[in-house]
Amino acid sequence: MPKCLIDGKEVEFSPGENLVKVAKRAGVEIPVFCYHPGLSVVAQCRMCYVEVEKMPKLQTACSTMAAEGMVVKTQSEAVKKGRQGTMEFLLLNHPLDCPICDKAGECDLQDNSFGHGSANMRHSEERRTYVDVDMGPVIQKNMNRCIHCTRCIRFGDEVAGIHEMVAIKRGNNIDITTIDGKQLKTEYAGNYSDICPTGSLTLKDFRFKKRAWMLKKTETVCEGCSKGCNMEIQHEGNVVYRCVPRENLEINKHWMCDEGRFNYRYTQDESRIVDPTLRAPDGHKSAAWQDVVATLESKIRGGEVLFLLGTDLTNEELSAIREAASTLRTGIKIRTFGTLGVTKTSEDGSADNILKMKSKTSNLNGAEKLGLEPLAGDAKADTVIVFRGGRAALPRVEAKWSAGVGVFNREEASGFDSVLPGLAFTEKEGTVVNHAGIGQRISRAVRPKGTCKSVPEVLMSLLNTKSKAGQA
Amino acid sequence: MEKLLSQKFYQAMNELEPRYPNKKALILPALHQAQAECGWLPPEVLAEVAAYIGVHEAQIREVASFYTMYNLKPVGKNHLRICTNVACCLRGADDLMSYAERKLGIACGETTPDGMFTLSEEECLGACTTAPVMMANDDYVENLDINGLNDWIERAKNDR
Repeated sequence: MPKCLIDGKEVEFSPGENLVKVAKRAGVEIPVFCYHPGLSVVAQCRMCYVEVEKMPKLQTACSTMAAEGMVVKTQSEAVKKGRQGTMEFLLLNHPLDCPICDKAGECDLQDNSFGHGSANMRHSEERRTYVDVDMGPVIQKNMNRCIHCTRCIRFGDEVAGIHEMVAIKRGNNIDITTIDGKQLKTEYAGNYSDICPTGSLTLKDFRFKKRAWMLKKTETVCEGCSKGCNMEIQHEGNVVYRCVPRENLEINKHWMCDEGRFNYRYTQDESRIVDPTLRAPDGHKSAAWQDVVATLESKIRGGEVLFLLGTDLTNEELSAIREAASTLRTGIKIRTFGTLGVTKTSEDGSADNILKMKSKTSNLNGAEKLGLEPLAGDAKADTVIVFRGGRAALPRVEAKWSAGVGVFNREEASGFDSVLPGLAFTEKEGTVVNHAGIGQRISRAVRPKGTCKSVPEVLMSLLNTKSKAGQA
Repeated sequence: MEKLLSQKFYQAMNELEPRYPNKKALILPALHQAQAECGWLPPEVLAEVAAYIGVHEAQIREVASFYTMYNLKPVGKNHLRICTNVACCLRGADDLMSYAERKLGIACGETTPDGMFTLSEEECLGACTTAPVMMANDDYVENLDINGLNDWIERAKNDR
């Protein structure tokens, strides 16, 4: 492999790699604004200046390809001055309202200004100002903070497949906006906020909720569909504040859809059932766990019993339920359910040619690999027990008695005789297999709500109740 | 959608097309031609040009708003564009601008109520040796001073 020298360190590179990438491998961080590894290179922010020997002027590292024997300096006096000049220009119109800006703490402009800018400002003229623009349900725009990196324009054009962000006018009068201030149409709008290097495009869902540096971060996988996008749950004090995509070049690259991003909301919704319930004549009533488990155990002792497993459960949960079912008694039928019309992986496929898949549950492939059969038609039996992670679409259940184990909201629960609340994907550990057969781990970010119990806990208390009943 | 641009526009484009490496390169001449037909470029016309070129309307909007030669608002019979860039600025373009504003009773960027004059600011017109410069409709008026500006406006008024 060819080699080049970066700050005196020899680095190997593959032809066609730019200096930002190569330097990163040598442990040298080059500051960037407009460059993003997932988007085309435009070299317009001029922040990534480096000095290349034998070249008369400073070069932008993002648009300069590494070459054999190239000698690059990223810390020379000329580079430092160049970057300082760029920072000064970028901050001419920036309001420096970091104390009230949501981006503060995770802002490229803040970090690079701290690292490469000057402590003094020579500029005392008036700054241009714009009115905030509402860009639909996901994004709020503050043009005052914008540095015209055009990442958002390129994201829309190159990734989301819709050229909805535009740069209107030019020079000092430029405005990065949508045509006539229309609302954003893409279902990937959350990414605009992720890639914005300033606080210009902020997520409405997260605005003024929490300072970025207070959030704890848990790496996990989205459960929104069978794509298995890698994401990070950001939480504090047992409350999830937002989910952001994690880079995984094999699966989701740098992006995720809004459906997956805001999917966590149901886990902390008011209407979620967090304590066990039993049906009473006037609706559902809270009951003690032991009573609910005892009732459930008595109902599956005789008659035709069907266990319905959501394909939103983890591999561990699915196999534990199957094992417990065979121990409880013989003849319990097990079927899976997940998305209407997509019961097998052969029926799954890309829903929009970007990220979204047709299967709206995360583990359809895993369930199939475990040899579980999908439900055909309605769920009919004397007793039907539905195990569900929270996203699988409930089928029609016709039974003398039915119970739901897992995550349900009040409306969904009304169809059951009993609900045993379980853990949502933010509250448990496990593995899921995505549509391409890649197995991934989901991790627990927050403690379970109320008295929710995990699937193995429910199964163990069922087995315990059964053995006690057998002894009596 | 009903076409706003005439058959002549499409004919001109068909003749121009072989001269350019790809259809996207036709955006600028297409906008000029459309503006020549309509006097200015309303959003519907921009959309029609976008459909003809085969790009998203947003891209046309970006191009049309980047160049000052494209009018995104209706303009008057006489369009005065005063350069206020460095050379002209040093030779008194700001005074010319404020004189024109007072004389016509409108602010820069506006059109007189009778539709006779539109006044706008122009970046460099490329005639710095004869600064200050004004572009009046399709003509350059060079070495301009307040008297010259006054005369030009008076003549245009009488030409009505």
